[in-house]
Amino acid sequence: MSEIDPITLEVIRNGLASIADEMALIVMRSAYSPVVRDIMDYSTGLCDPQGRIIAQGLTLPIQLCSFPRVMRFVADKFGDDLHPGDILVTNDPYGSGGQHLPDIYVLKPIFHRDVLAGFAATVAHHSDVGGIVPGSVAIYATEIQQEGLRIPLLKLYNKGEPDAALFALIEANTRAPIEVLGDLRAQVAACTTAEAGLQALYHRYGREGLGTYIEALHDYAEAMMRDTIRELPDGVYIAEDYLDGVGDTPEPVLIRVTLTVTGDTIDIDFTGTSPQVAASINCPISLPESAAFTAIRCLSLQDIPNCEGYMRPITVRAPEGCLVNPRFPAACGARGVVGYRVFDAIMQALAQVVPDRAIAGSEGGPYLLSGGGSYNGRQFVLNEMLVGTWGARATSDGIEGISNPAANLSNQPIELIETEMPVEITSYAMLADSGGAGEFRGGLSFVREIRFLQDMRFTLRGDRRDHPPYGLEGGATGSPSQHLLIRTDGTETMLPTMPMVSCRANAGDIFRLVGAGGGGFGDAFKRDAWRVLEDVREGKVSIVGARRDYGVAISGDAVDAAATDVLRALR
Amino acid sequence: MPGRTYRAGVDIGGTFTDIVLVDDLGRVELCKVASTPDDYSRGIANGLQQLVTRIGVDPGAITGIVHATTIATNTILEFKGAKTGLLTTAGFRDVLEFRRLRIPVLYDLQYAKPRPLAPRRLRLEVRERLGPGGDVRVPLDEMSVREAAATFVAEGVEAVAISFLHAYANPAHEMRAEAILSEILGPSVYLTRGSEILPEIREYERASTVVVNAYVGPVIRHYAEALEARLASVGITAPIEMMHSGGGIMRLAASVKRAAALVESGPAAGVIACARLVRGEGTGANIISFDMGGTTAKAALVENGEAARTDEYEVGAGINLSSKLVKGGGYPIKMPFIDVSEIGAGGGSIVALDDKRRVTVGPRSAGAMPGPVCYGRGGTEVTLTDVFVLLGYINGESLAAGSIKVDSAGARAALETQIAGPLGQDIATTARGVLSLAVSTMTRAVKAVSTYRGRDPRDFTLVAFGGNGPVVAADIAAALGIRRIVVPLAAGVFSGLGLLRSDVEQEFVQPLLKSTGELSAARLEAIYADLRTRAMMSLADEGYGTDAAVLRATADLRYFGQAYELNVPVADLDLAAIEEAFHAEHQRTYGHRSLRDPVQFVNARLLARLPSASVIAEFAPEPAFTRKPRQAIFAGAAVEVEVIGRSALGDIARPGPFIVEDYDCTCVVPPFAAARRDAAGNIEIEVTPQ
Repeated sequence: MSEIDPITLEVIRNGLASIADEMALIVMRSAYSPVVRDIMDYSTGLCDPQGRIIAQGLTLPIQLCSFPRVMRFVADKFGDDLHPGDILVTNDPYGSGGQHLPDIYVLKPIFHRDVLAGFAATVAHHSDVGGIVPGSVAIYATEIQQEGLRIPLLKLYNKGEPDAALFALIEANTRAPIEVLGDLRAQVAACTTAEAGLQALYHRYGREGLGTYIEALHDYAEAMMRDTIRELPDGVYIAEDYLDGVGDTPEPVLIRVTLTVTGDTIDIDFTGTSPQVAASINCPISLPESAAFTAIRCLSLQDIPNCEGYMRPITVRAPEGCLVNPRFPAACGARGVVGYRVFDAIMQALAQVVPDRAIAGSEGGPYLLSGGGSYNGRQFVLNEMLVGTWGARATSDGIEGISNPAANLSNQPIELIETEMPVEITSYAMLADSGGAGEFRGGLSFVREIRFLQDMRFTLRGDRRDHPPYGLEGGATGSPSQHLLIRTDGTETMLPTMPMVSCRANAGDIFRLVGAGGGGFGDAFKRDAWRVLEDVREGKVSIVGARRDYGVAISGDAVDAAATDVLRALR
Repeated sequence: MPGRTYRAGVDIGGTFTDIVLVDDLGRVELCKVASTPDDYSRGIANGLQQLVTRIGVDPGAITGIVHATTIATNTILEFKGAKTGLLTTAGFRDVLEFRRLRIPVLYDLQYAKPRPLAPRRLRLEVRERLGPGGDVRVPLDEMSVREAAATFVAEGVEAVAISFLHAYANPAHEMRAEAILSEILGPSVYLTRGSEILPEIREYERASTVVVNAYVGPVIRHYAEALEARLASVGITAPIEMMHSGGGIMRLAASVKRAAALVESGPAAGVIACARLVRGEGTGANIISFDMGGTTAKAALVENGEAARTDEYEVGAGINLSSKLVKGGGYPIKMPFIDVSEIGAGGGSIVALDDKRRVTVGPRSAGAMPGPVCYGRGGTEVTLTDVFVLLGYINGESLAAGSIKVDSAGARAALETQIAGPLGQDIATTARGVLSLAVSTMTRAVKAVSTYRGRDPRDFTLVAFGGNGPVVAADIAAALGIRRIVVPLAAGVFSGLGLLRSDVEQEFVQPLLKSTGELSAARLEAIYADLRTRAMMSLADEGYGTDAAVLRATADLRYFGQAYELNVPVADLDLAAIEEAFHAEHQRTYGHRSLRDPVQFVNARLLARLPSASVIAEFAPEPAFTRKPRQAIFAGAAVEVEVIGRSALGDIARPGPFIVEDYDCTCVVPPFAAARRDAAGNIEIEVTPQ
C-alpha cells in the first residue's frame, strides 16, 4: 500500500482514539481509590511497536506525553524478551522513565500473530506506595529511598502468569493495599481491552497496511505542528517563573526557559533553572518534557492527532543536576508542581509573540493535602488534589470551576469524602475579587474548608503565594494562595505553601485552603463596564473591587457612567 | 368504524411530527405532518384531526395518547428555561458552578464552559447541616429560608430547586424548606427538591439534576396545559401519557413534576420499539438498535429483551457517547436512562474538507432548513443525504411516494466542486470514501454500547430504523462483523410506533451502602417489600390499576472501594446468588473478578411495569408509487440494481445488490448481503463477513 487514502487515515485515527478512550473508561469504572476513580489522576494511551505514542485517552495532558520516555526504557531493557501475556510495571524515576513513586505505569506489549504490534500504556496515581507519610508525598524527603517503594521496570505478568512475589511485595509496602491492588487490576483490565481493540485493527487492515497508516498519522501530525510553528516569528524568547520554595522561610526556585523558534522547529532549553534542592520538588525530565509538549500543542488551533509525530519538531533540554533534571537519588514526590510551572513559563514566553493564543496564569496546578490514620477500624488515606481556575484569554475571561489546562482532574464528591473519612467539608466556594483584573478577568480562586473530626497529621503541597499567577498584556496577577489552620479556639496560623514537616491538627480544627486566582488579560480600565456590572451582580467582583480594580462605579444595580468616566480618566 | 377505540402515539421531531394510530384490533394508520415549533400542540392537533377525518371516526374515539417530545432538550439547548433559583446548604452555593471540574476537550485554551442554569445571585444559602447518615448537625434555620424566599420574590424567580448536603439520607430539612417557600412564593413558582427527585449520594450530580428539573419544569407545565386545552378544543379529551428517558410512560401530570426525565423521550421510544420487536417477533434475543435520522445517529443495546440502561446523561453536551468519561460539556441528569449513544452524523450532516485535505462529516448539520443540496431548499453545502443520492442508495428523483423532489444534478455539482475536485478524485470514489468515513464515525456510537461494555457486536442483531438507518445498516454491520440486520415494518416512523408499545414504568431506589456481609435475607426481604409498597402506592396515586403490575428487582453492587456500580438482577433474595451474579458481571465487563474484596450493596432497585402496550396486528396499505432500476455504487463499481417494494420480497433470501424502497424509508442491500422478508413483514438481511 503506497497511496495514503485520507479517509482511511481518518477511520484508523478514530479507531485508535476510541481504544484509548475505552481504556480510560475502564480504569475509571473499575478503580478503587478516590484519587483514580473520583479525581481521575490517571492516563491511558496506545503506542506503536517502536514505542511511539499513537493515541491518547481523554485524560491528563501533562502525564500523557511522558509515555515516550518510559517506552524507550522498555526497548532498552527488554528488547526481544517480550511475549504475549506479558505486562510490565514501573514507578521509578531513575532508570525507568517514571515521574514520582505514586505514579505506577502498567504497560502491555500487544502481539498480532506472534509479532509485536504495539503497546497499551497506562499510568495512575496510586493512593500510597509507602514512605514516611500517608500518600507518599513528603516535601521534606531528600532521597528517593525515603519516599516509598521503588519498582524498577519489571514484569508484573509473565506470559499471562501474575508474578505473585511482586504483588506480595507491593501489597506489603502500601498503607492502602485494597486500593492499590484494585487500581492495578483496573490498569491491567484497560490494557487487556486495548489488546483486543488493536488486534482487531491489525486483523482488518493487515500488518503492512496499518503500519503504513500509522506512519502517515505521525507524518500528518508532524506536518500540522510544523505549520503551527512556522506561523511564529523566528527568535529567542526567554521567560522566568518561580516556585515559592519550601519550608517556613522559603527561597524562591527559578524556572528559566529559553524558547528558540527556528523555521518550523522549537527548542526549549531550561539552562539557568535553579539547581536541584534538598526537598521532594525535584522534577525528573519526563514531566518538564511532557509539560513542554502540552504547552506547544495548545498553540495549534487545529485538531492535531495525539501521536508522537507532533512532538518531532520540538526539542527539550535541561542540564543535569538542575531542578528539572535531577541526579539520583534526589527526592521527587512533590515534583508535579514544577510541571505546572514549566507550562506557565513556556506560556509566558509564547505570549511575547502570540498573546492571542496564550492564557494568563491559572491556579498553579493541584493543591495537595494528604492525611491518614485509622477510621472505623480501617486504615485510610485522605488525598485531596484541588484544582479549579483558569487565567484570562485574549478575548474571554478566565474560568472558575475547571481543571488546570495542563491537567484534566476532577473533584471528590463532598458526600463521599464525609462518608469514608473522618472529616467534614465546611465550605466549597468561590472567592470574590480574587481573579486578576484585566480587560478580561482571571477566574476566581476556590476555597475548600476541611474540619478534622479526629486528630490527624497531614502534608501539604501548595504554591503561588509569593509568586501569584501572572497576568498578560497588562492584566493583573491573580490573588495569592493561602493555607490557613484555624484552631477550635479561633486562633489562625498561616502554614507554609510547602511545609517541611508533617502538620498536626486536632479534632475540631479547620484547614482553609484558598487556591490562587487566575491572572487577568489586558488593561482592566478598558474592561466593558457592563461586564463589571454583571460580575458585581454575580458576586464575583465587589462594588469596592469594581471601583478599585476596574474604575467602574456601581450605584444600585447599574453602572454610574459619569462617575466611571471620571474614575477611569483619573488613573 | 363506530364502536372502535384508538390510541395515538405522537413523536415530535425537529422537522416532522409522526403520528401513529392503532385501533383495538391492532390496525395501524400513519401520518407525518410538519412540526410547529412556535406551538407544538397545534401540529399535534392538526395531525390527529387529519387522521380521524381520513378514517372517518369521531375524535372522541381516541381513548389514549402517548407522547414523546424534544421540548425539554430544546429548552436547555436554547437557554429558554425558567428563571431558576437554588436553595442550598450554607457554604455550598458554588457546588453547582464548580461542577466536577473536568474539561471535555484537551489542549483547547479557548474552551468555553457551559454556564450554570441557576445564576450565582439566585443561588442562596440557608443555615442547616446534615451528616452522612442523615444525622442533624445544624438544625434548619427557618429564618434564613424566609430571607431567601424574600430575595426570590424580589428577583421574580419562576422556579426554585432545593438541594441540601446529605438530604438523600434525610429529607426533613428540604421538605420543611419547601413548605416555607411554597407558603411565601405561592403556587405559580415551581418547586422541586433533591430528596424527592434523586435521593442518591453525590452532591453535584443531585444538584445539577434538580436544577435541570427546575429549569425545564415550568416550560413543561405550560406545555402540558396548552396541549390539553388544544386537544380538548378539537374534541380529544383522552388522558395523555409521556415517554420518559428510561423508556417507560407516565402520566402527563407526573411528567410535570419530573420534567428532567423527558430529555431523551424520543430516542428512548425507538429503543423500546426494538425491545418489543425482540419479544413479539423473535429477532433473536440480543440486538443493537441503530437509529439514524437527519442530525444524529443513535445506538442502544437490548439484551434478553431488556434495553440497557444507564443512570446518568449530560444534556447539551453535543455528542453523548454513552460514557461517563467525557464530562463537563453539558448538564448532567442522574435518572434512569435508556443507554443511548448519540453521534452527530445524520442525513443532514455537512461533508467538508479542511486545509490539510482532510474530509470531515458533521457534526455541523444543514438541518431541515436549508437542508441537503438535493432537496433544493437553499442548501449549498454537501450533506450525507446528497452523497446517498449520488451513490444511488436513495432515489435521485423523488422521495416519500413523490412528495419530495430530489435534485441529483445539484448534489453532483456540489460534491464535485467542494470535495472531489480539490481531492483530485472522481465522484464515485469520493462518495464511497465519504460513506466509509461516516460509517466509521457512526460505528463509534455502536461500539460505545457494545465493545465499551465488553460486548462483542458480532453476537448481536442490528435493528435499523429511522429515515436513514436502513440505508447504511449493511455497511455498519460489515464494519463491526455483525452478520444479521433486521429492518422492521414502519422503520421510518418506528419511534412513534414504540410509544404505543411501551408500558407504564416507574423505578424506585433504596440506597443501602452496606457490605453484603452486613445484610441478611430478612433485611433484604424487608427492603424490597418496602419498595413494592412504594411502587403500588405510586401507581395507584396516578390512577392506574395495580393488579397487572410486574415488578423487577435489581441491585447495584461494587467491590468495596469502587465508585461505580454494576446492576444485576435479583431473582430471589439469596445474597450468595446476588453476589455471584455481580462477580460474573464484573468478570464480563472488566475481565477480572476479586474473591478477596468485600462486595458492597449500594442500592436496591425495583422497576414497576404496568403492561399497557397496544397489540400491533396490521398496517394500513401505504400510498402507491412506481419504482424503477437505478445505478448504485458499491465498493469497486457502479452496477444497475433493482428497486422493489417490501411486499415484493419473498421469504427466501435474495442476494444483493438491490434496494427496497418504501413510503417511509429506503433499505440498501449491497452485494455482500442477501435479504428476505419474515412472516411479520420485517426485512432480514444476512451480511457476509468482509
